[in-house]
Amino acid sequence: MQELLENPVIQSSAAPFLAGLVVAATLFPVRLAGLAPAAGFLAAVWLIGAFGFTPMTATRKIVVLSLAAPVLGVLADLAFKPTRATPPVLGVLFGAASIWVIWSVLVQRPVQEAALLAAGVFAFVLAVVALTVSLHDQAVRAGSAGLFLGLGTGAGAVIGASALLGQYGLALGAACGSFLLLAMILGKRVFAGATFTLAASVAAALIAAGAMVLARLPWTSLVAIALIPLAVRLPLPEKSPAWIQAIVASLYALAPAAGACALAWQSARTV
Amino acid sequence: MRKTLLAGMLLAACPLAAHAQAETYKVDPIHSFPHFGVDHFGVSTIWGRFDKMNGTFTIDRAGKKAAVELTIETASVTTGDNDKGSRPRSRDEHLRQADFFNTAEFPRMTYKSTNVKFNGDAPSEIEGQLTLLGVTKPVNIKLDRWVCREHPMNKRAMCGGDGSGSFKRTDFGMKFGVPAIGDEVRLKINFEGYKE
Repeated sequence: MQELLENPVIQSSAAPFLAGLVVAATLFPVRLAGLAPAAGFLAAVWLIGAFGFTPMTATRKIVVLSLAAPVLGVLADLAFKPTRATPPVLGVLFGAASIWVIWSVLVQRPVQEAALLAAGVFAFVLAVVALTVSLHDQAVRAGSAGLFLGLGTGAGAVIGASALLGQYGLALGAACGSFLLLAMILGKRVFAGATFTLAASVAAALIAAGAMVLARLPWTSLVAIALIPLAVRLPLPEKSPAWIQAIVASLYALAPAAGACALAWQSARTV
Repeated sequence: MRKTLLAGMLLAACPLAAHAQAETYKVDPIHSFPHFGVDHFGVSTIWGRFDKMNGTFTIDRAGKKAAVELTIETASVTTGDNDKGSRPRSRDEHLRQADFFNTAEFPRMTYKSTNVKFNGDAPSEIEGQLTLLGVTKPVNIKLDRWVCREHPMNKRAMCGGDGSGSFKRTDFGMKFGVPAIGDEVRLKINFEGYKE
């Protein structure tokens, strides 16, 4: 059993998928199925044995913010109810938090280079978070976006030379997949909310930014990843069952995610 | 008055006399390298080294005291696999990323002695603190060889030797690949330094 739990494939796919599915299936009646990505991500971090907060490295800050995001999402859903202003406000908030994540790297770079890097990461996180959170009332589109934000980021990070961040991304994708599976079966009874969209987008955006700053994921891959929450807005067969809509939305999301991986692969072969 | 002045001068001279015993050596970076070995799948030991190490060591033979301070550039890690060929990355590239040495965030690791044991008038073991990935833990280095002599070519006074030790990388938060890639890191350092 121990050997099984130490298997990186189990840690970043089966375990987070199961954890996400259990949480989503248990909590969807109280509109908290959106905690699935947080549960899956938490399971992966736990199994990989990466819990620890000293020293507070960039990777640990990613874990902290990825676990804080769903808490804020629950508050937004239950206490405040997301409005039109919620996505950009949360985008700016986590964009600013991303600067804290990469601060230890920024302070070691020349001022101009650091400013450019900080601005780029801020804009990327803002875009991914705001665009994904604005899907809060569309569970199928949000689930598809979360699935491929996780898988695209994870596969890209592996190619970009960070297996740990890759495992985190893939685990996030697997957990979002469990949410999407439930949404495919139960349709509109499954609610995404800011809980799901914030948990999925914050973790994915920070993992991708981390893979660029700490490893070799090219910035062009980040641009492709930012297109994922836009791609799922393309027209869906609205009168078809939820599972068909989910497949179509996932195909839309697959294109930029695959593009991000292809760009990472191309960069790895040429740089 | 004269006696007081003499006593004062003698007192003032004592620390200088003691200080004069201590010799400081600057590490010669082209003849000093820390090597590390890690178990690979229980089959063999992969050895690597850091190409850039700087620092100083001080020795007071009469007082049997010594101190060492070393700084290692983590991005200078090499294991002989620099060419990625058709792969997305080489092993050395991977070692520089967040899974291992995380050189973007931690470009340097340091070693500072806290105590040096002597065998006769030669240092035999260094007790010190290694700071790696922002974590500081005690690591001891046994000196397998210690030689001081005049450099045969440039005639400068030099000391050097070989040291060895070990530590667990997970103690420093480097958990990737354990246990397939060993936790225990074997350390071998060859060093030479010129007297300042």
